[in-house]
Amino acid sequence: MSIGEVIIFSLIKILIIVGLLFLTVAYLVYFERKVSAWAQNRIGPNRVGWKGVLQPFADVFKLLLKEDIVPEKSDRIIHALAPMIALFVAFTTFAVIPFGPDVKIFGYNIPLVVADVNIGVLFILALTSLGVYAITLAGWSSGSKYSLLGGIRSSAQMISYEISMGFSVGGVLLLSESLRPIAIVQSQSGWMWNAIIQPIGFITFVVSAFAETNRLPFDLPEAEPELVGGFHTEYSSMKFAGFFLSEYANMTIASAFIVTLYLGGWQIPYIDLLGLPSGLVIVLQVGAFIFKLVAMLFFFLWIRWSLPRFRYDQLMSLGWKVMFPLSLINIIWVALLIMVFGL
Amino acid sequence: MALKSIKRREKDLTFLEKLYIPEILKGLTLTFKNMIRPKFTFEYPEEKFIPPSSYRGRPVLVEDSNGEERCVACGLCSRVCPALAIEVQAGETEREKERYPEKFEINMLRCIFCGFCEEVCPEEAIIMSKDYELAFSNREDAIYGKDKLLVPISQIQDKIDFLRQYK
Amino acid sequence: MPKIKIDNNEIEFKPGQTIIQAARDNGIDIPHFCWHPELSISGNCRICLVEVEKIPKLVIACSTIASEGMVVHTQSEKTIAARNAVMEFLLINHPLDCPICDEAGECKLQDYAYKYSVGESRFTEEKVHKQKHVDLGPRVMFDGERCISCSRCIRFCDEIAKSPQLTFVQRGDHVTITTYPGQQMDNPYSMNTIDICPVGALTSKDFRFNARVWDMSATKSVCPGCSRGCNTEVWVRDNKILRLTPRYNPQVNSYWMCDHGRLNTFRFVNAEDRIDSPQLRREGQLIKVGWDEAFAEAVSRIKSFAKDEVAFIGSAYATCEDNYILAKFARSVVGSSNIDFVRRADNNFGDDILKQNDITPNSLGAELVGVSPSKSGLGIEGIKKGIKEKRIKALYVIKEDFINVDPEIENMLSKLDLLIVHASNQSKTTSVADIIFPAATYAEKNGTFVNFEGTIQRIRPAVSTVDADRALDGFEMSRLDKFGTSFDRWARGTKHDAKATWKILTSLAGLLGHKMKFKMAEEVFEEMASIEAFKGLTYDDLGEHGVKIKTGNVEEKVNA
Ligand code: SF4
Ligand code: SF4
Ligand code: SF4
Ligand code: SF4
Repeated sequence: MSIGEVIIFSLIKILIIVGLLFLTVAYLVYFERKVSAWAQNRIGPNRVGWKGVLQPFADVFKLLLKEDIVPEKSDRIIHALAPMIALFVAFTTFAVIPFGPDVKIFGYNIPLVVADVNIGVLFILALTSLGVYAITLAGWSSGSKYSLLGGIRSSAQMISYEISMGFSVGGVLLLSESLRPIAIVQSQSGWMWNAIIQPIGFITFVVSAFAETNRLPFDLPEAEPELVGGFHTEYSSMKFAGFFLSEYANMTIASAFIVTLYLGGWQIPYIDLLGLPSGLVIVLQVGAFIFKLVAMLFFFLWIRWSLPRFRYDQLMSLGWKVMFPLSLINIIWVALLIMVFGL
Repeated sequence: MALKSIKRREKDLTFLEKLYIPEILKGLTLTFKNMIRPKFTFEYPEEKFIPPSSYRGRPVLVEDSNGEERCVACGLCSRVCPALAIEVQAGETEREKERYPEKFEINMLRCIFCGFCEEVCPEEAIIMSKDYELAFSNREDAIYGKDKLLVPISQIQDKIDFLRQYK
Repeated sequence: MPKIKIDNNEIEFKPGQTIIQAARDNGIDIPHFCWHPELSISGNCRICLVEVEKIPKLVIACSTIASEGMVVHTQSEKTIAARNAVMEFLLINHPLDCPICDEAGECKLQDYAYKYSVGESRFTEEKVHKQKHVDLGPRVMFDGERCISCSRCIRFCDEIAKSPQLTFVQRGDHVTITTYPGQQMDNPYSMNTIDICPVGALTSKDFRFNARVWDMSATKSVCPGCSRGCNTEVWVRDNKILRLTPRYNPQVNSYWMCDHGRLNTFRFVNAEDRIDSPQLRREGQLIKVGWDEAFAEAVSRIKSFAKDEVAFIGSAYATCEDNYILAKFARSVVGSSNIDFVRRADNNFGDDILKQNDITPNSLGAELVGVSPSKSGLGIEGIKKGIKEKRIKALYVIKEDFINVDPEIENMLSKLDLLIVHASNQSKTTSVADIIFPAATYAEKNGTFVNFEGTIQRIRPAVSTVDADRALDGFEMSRLDKFGTSFDRWARGTKHDAKATWKILTSLAGLLGHKMKFKMAEEVFEEMASIEAFKGLTYDDLGEHGVKIKTGNVEEKVNA
């Protein structure tokens, strides 16, 4: 493939992914409202469009029409920049997530990933930890004590959970011997899903992912009861929507990442044994990826509407005293597996 | 000095509970069960809740079958109203009861739907109806005068019958 | 002094007093309907039955003369049973009218029904029905069913109003009250019967159904209808005066007031023609302006005259404080001693009960605080002459519509270069004025009046103006006033933009370079207390009933 073609295909893929991601995020909000309604024996949004399916657009439209209030004492530039950072980080990360095996179209061999970089996992870890800047800067630049507290909480939380997250990923890397997401997916062929082989690592990773995305039960940076919304207290209109969307985008990425690292990515165990035509297989596999992703997202929502928020000290002691040691144990466990079974 | 005994929780967590995971799973099952339970929501503007007779909706004035209000403007409801929602101005009439409300206003924003007015009224003239649809876009609209308060007795007969059981 | 014992309290009494009086003087209340301290004893309601030791039957406390060593029980079993029986008897034919009865809330029968009755009746027969809307006179309505035949109203007309017009007719449970054939109850004190009627049988045509008593606030004040200065209560709801009632003051008016004072001295406060903002004459037209503009104009115009060209007219309708400040303003700020006030007498008004020929409330006060020409100054006649001869070019008038008294003044006023008027309502005088300041009425400010006998009495604000706040300025407050918010129509009410005359003058003095440091009427009074007649008095000393002061020869001068 010539450079030009690579650029063209990449652009097409970027467009598709960004478009899809926006849609996903929008519908995730809708989904969240529905799930919360179900969990509370309500019906949920059902007015805009059939069963309320147009609700996300109504929401966006409403937010667009809202007045954009910038507090007098804020740092205007950073205040405006923060939600952009949040969105940028959230969307960029998706570049390295593979959502299917390579496909052949018009004689080109196209990998179903925007950028198949060989340090993909590191890239994701790096970018997601950049995301915390958005929150901390938002909290700092708002010039409000609530926001500031939210920002500080966020960075402290991020540091604490980044560690156990990193070590959990370590277990996965030991097995796949590669930082390329595609390679990691391929290493989980059959039922060799990392979630099954290293359950402890799976749990610590999922918990850390919740913490990293600021989702309940770890949404302390925005804790409404004591911080009135935390880092986004002083945000309104589309800037607020930026944070809102990035939270859901992050959730999608975290889910995609979990699926990639632990749930076998796009793989359907032993599908090649059925002898189906390769086109169908690819479609099924992309379907499997989406299904796993959606299941994971549902899990995110489900947790949110089931568990109460942690206290701040509980959050910290859980991070340092439980998650961190557990992720170390996981590494030892994986090492043992490799030594004993030579995986 | 002996240390004071450390205050223990009423119920310490067991090991299993301390593990969190089983408890989380319990919680998740509970919410999941709720998700698939049937819903009872009234879809309001289309489907309306018809309250039982004990319901206390907005207070209304009874218009007797002869088309006249029962109220004699005694002001007792206005006096008993804890929210000072009622304003009555009495006037003189040729009717047998001499007195009638020249002006009778209830500020629905002040009303707390306690039903004291209904209870105190010596003439069974003010009744807590079943009407709960009260929405205004400014404060003045929330002040209901006689035009909005007077309701023909036929419309609130069930409510009156209910009240009579307890008199 | 001889003593009797009532409910184990040993009390002293004056020989000749009845039990009920002796008890009342010592703060013991024996229930009564027909007895009234100022009326003769009738003894027909029987609610005051008490047990006296060594007397076999219960006696009525209102007509039993107390004697040394009597032991009276007002709470014994027998007394309570008797009271209950009397209540049951009185209520037999009494209609269940409280909801539509104006007396409710201040009704003795209602109160006693709560206090002394078990609240049950054994009477199952049809009640006797009587006439319910009887016109007793131009101002009073009678309801036969509510009447308990106590005869207070009859005795009042006979004894106090000195015009026997009422009597009982019929007998037994059909007894009712009526006027003598061909007569009406139209004596000038007839409305007092409404107050003394212990029930709602007599009601005021003017006030009928206007408000429930518990919705109003009652402020202690003084009637400005004549120089008697009857003590009154001003009843206000929604910042509007609804009625006046007399207030007991043994030195001045006892329990009474005249119908004229009751009906006619509050309407102008509520009236539509109130002056609601300062006004200036521009190109022949009176236009409304703000206070500052009016002050500035007044200051610059006053300055343009020589001091002898300015004259001041005080007012016997204004308080001592207002007149005092006017005198001070005239003498020490403007430097003119042309100051006097208009004396008003109506020789058809007075009688030998309460009403006085001097139909202003404060002529003595105006005189005392110095609203009268001193050696070099001109009196009212002099001022008139001065205006005619164009020696007086500017006139400053407070609270006075003197064109009404003396129509010839109207032509004179047109000769003036400047006429400044303080007025509460529009009048002929305001229509020719150059500058008008809206003045607070007697019901809107603190102050004092000196009546014809030299009793100085306080008036208090009952109606709030833009200048005053009900809660902050210590007004009497009804329940509605207390809990209303600025969103409630009744709390917003109609407030007039008026200020007390002394306040307006103080501001003007300040602008003319003479600071007067008065914030409250009370401070003005404190300074006034340097005048011989008011020596050392404060508002607290005046209390509710006022104080009699030495007026010296001023009294003769005024009453002459
Ligand atoms: S229901 Fe209660 S609050 Fe409402 S008007 Fe009646 S007494 Fe007042
Ligand atoms: S209590 Fe009844 S009769 Fe009296 S004013 Fe209220 S509604 Fe009318
Ligand atoms: S007179 Fe007194 S007791 Fe009789 S109806 Fe009137 S308020 Fe009630
Ligand atoms: S006698 Fe005079 S002061 Fe008394 S009420 Fe009548 S007018 Fe007023």
